[in-house]
Amino acid sequence: MRRRDFLATSAVIGLSASLHAQEANTETKVLEAAVPVIAAVQQHMFPEQSSLPSAKAMDTVTFLKETITHASYDRDIRGFVIEGAQELERRTQGKFLVMDAAQREAALRSYEETRYGSNWLARIMTLTMEAIFSDPIYGSNIGQEGWKAVGSFGGSPRPKERYIEL
Amino acid sequence: MKHFDAVIVGSGASGGAVAYTLCRAGYKVAVLEKGRLIRREEFSKDELAYCRRDIITPNLFDEYHLIEEKEGGKWVATPTYESGWSFWNGNIVGGSSNVMSGMLHRMHPDDFRLKSKYGAIEGANVVDWPISYEDMEPYYTMAEEVVGISGVAEKHPFAPWRSTPDFPQPPTKENEVVKLFDKSCRALGITPLVTPRAVLSKDKGHRNACYYSNFCGSYGCSSGAKGSSTESLLFPALATGNLTLMSHTYVKSLESTKERATSVVAIDTVTGKERKITADIFVLAAQAHESARLLLNSKSRHHPNGLSNSSGELGKNLIFSAGGSGQGELHRESLKEISFEALMERGLFVNRSILDWYHIDHWWDGRFKGGSVEFMFEHQNIISRACKNNKEGGKLIWGKALGERVAKRFKESKSIRFEIFNDWLPHDDCFVSVDERHTDKYGMPVGKLRIASHPHDLKVGRYLAKKCEAVLEEMGAQNIYSSVSPLPPQNLIAGGCRFGDDPKSSVLNRDCRSHDIPNLYVADASFMPTGGSVAYTWTIYANAFRVADHIVRDLSQT
Repeated sequence: MRRRDFLATSAVIGLSASLHAQEANTETKVLEAAVPVIAAVQQHMFPEQSSLPSAKAMDTVTFLKETITHASYDRDIRGFVIEGAQELERRTQGKFLVMDAAQREAALRSYEETRYGSNWLARIMTLTMEAIFSDPIYGSNIGQEGWKAVGSFGGSPRPKERYIEL
Repeated sequence: MKHFDAVIVGSGASGGAVAYTLCRAGYKVAVLEKGRLIRREEFSKDELAYCRRDIITPNLFDEYHLIEEKEGGKWVATPTYESGWSFWNGNIVGGSSNVMSGMLHRMHPDDFRLKSKYGAIEGANVVDWPISYEDMEPYYTMAEEVVGISGVAEKHPFAPWRSTPDFPQPPTKENEVVKLFDKSCRALGITPLVTPRAVLSKDKGHRNACYYSNFCGSYGCSSGAKGSSTESLLFPALATGNLTLMSHTYVKSLESTKERATSVVAIDTVTGKERKITADIFVLAAQAHESARLLLNSKSRHHPNGLSNSSGELGKNLIFSAGGSGQGELHRESLKEISFEALMERGLFVNRSILDWYHIDHWWDGRFKGGSVEFMFEHQNIISRACKNNKEGGKLIWGKALGERVAKRFKESKSIRFEIFNDWLPHDDCFVSVDERHTDKYGMPVGKLRIASHPHDLKVGRYLAKKCEAVLEEMGAQNIYSSVSPLPPQNLIAGGCRFGDDPKSSVLNRDCRSHDIPNLYVADASFMPTGGSVAYTWTIYANAFRVADHIVRDLSQT
């Protein structure tokens, strides 16, 4: 699939371009505003009492923020991650955060029915998996709990520096 | 600026091999590499950095390719920054040889005379090579020794003959799964072979033996066991005192008179400063699609269609490796022959290949060129394996169901995978050109790759995939699948500067010297008119050693 396909099917066409035009600090503010919803989606996907550690326990949202705001990360996808959260908020009349688990499940499955929503959820899933299973040096996979859960561990030598700091 | 005996553009397998020979022969050589040097101590098994981000390849918004594919009967060019389909491979000192898996084979003698052996195929530009396996054999042997290829010589009808009795090093250690694999093959009348591997099983000079990290392909090697250009060629070349290794050096073009190349125009990627570097001999080793692009971008009033393009063949007949891959899962509860704990042992290799189908001559299937197959464990990357298990029926699964599925997949099974290599037939709709409207961050036109595969390639690939699936079935694997695609692997690229004896139909002569410019050589896989049915790397190393001997002869006469 071409990367811009999901932008072409965006429910909020044009926002991506306007995000690019804004100052970086404005984008940071927009991201911060979207973070609670993203964190809630991550937690719904990776809850407590699962065979995998929870998103909250692994602080996956901090990983996500650091990843997508780094210069090496695709700027279109950065915009997409933020816009997708805004779109979820819009679809749920701003109530996603106060919904219970069953309501969130229904909202996310409904969102998944759209191509845009499906792509966004897959992106959040990937960013969360990257957090839980990457080297603990990146701040998630705390105590190697992600690796322990699947009985597979990163190879040696482990990184001494994070690529985002090189 | 100092004048060199030879300037080599690119530091991967071929550039390293030429530098190694020239420096040891006493010549002053400059190797120009766009990327940086990553030392053995700096490489880590950081999946995020090496496998999921572009830390060793350019950002596609800065440097990209145009990929032209046929859509709805029309050729449509898509920039790789749109598709994310990168055609860069390890832009660091040593090139992609740093991150190879190192599962290598020599080409078969018949691969050097494909047209004579199998005849013409409609729509394909198949030709015989101007040299034979006999010409290449000493250099395959040299690569075995210098690069360090471990293995064991086994008799097989399609194993190329060798001038030495055995490999310089025994094979690397194997997982017990080979007992099950070998038994299953024999039950099907198939001969399993140990895969030669550019990985040391024993210490060699400054390089340490493999330590079985479990993360080999896609990663740099932390012991020096992998036969990368950096470890096996460039470091020894540096030790001679004759090599100037210039990292962070991007070459824009070559300057030339009517008869000779005179300098390269290079940019220091850190300072942005441009300079000219002069030499007696120029050697391109930038990987096939990029070497052709560099020559096309080196046009001048003497060479209006690009340097070394009097034939009009420059960039034409680009080839990849055809085939595909597949895999199946070995589950704890149904595992035969070996214990599950032995299967799950970390780090040890499968090291098995099948050459039985290199040449097919069957009463029902027909007579045609087949290919080779490698068997290995699924790559052990954790993030990518987890991500592959988060869907069911095309929908994401999450919550506890996801946790259970991923944990079970990791703890209760291990996948074995096969990769098929068959000829990517050269033809008129697979070539590299440049597009003046698209430039990289240095202002140079980017390479435009028209890519289409010949239908014959798919037929052969599917034939081989069925055979491989039968092996996995015999092993007791579950959820077996394979995928044979017309899309190319972007790490196995060759052609574009065909070698041949006729200057009207080839870019290079049989020594890989330009027909037009006698002090210009192309040492990478660009020369290959056909690619054989194995990974190119061993042939690239061997041919570059062969080319280097010709360059030494040239230099000794000046």
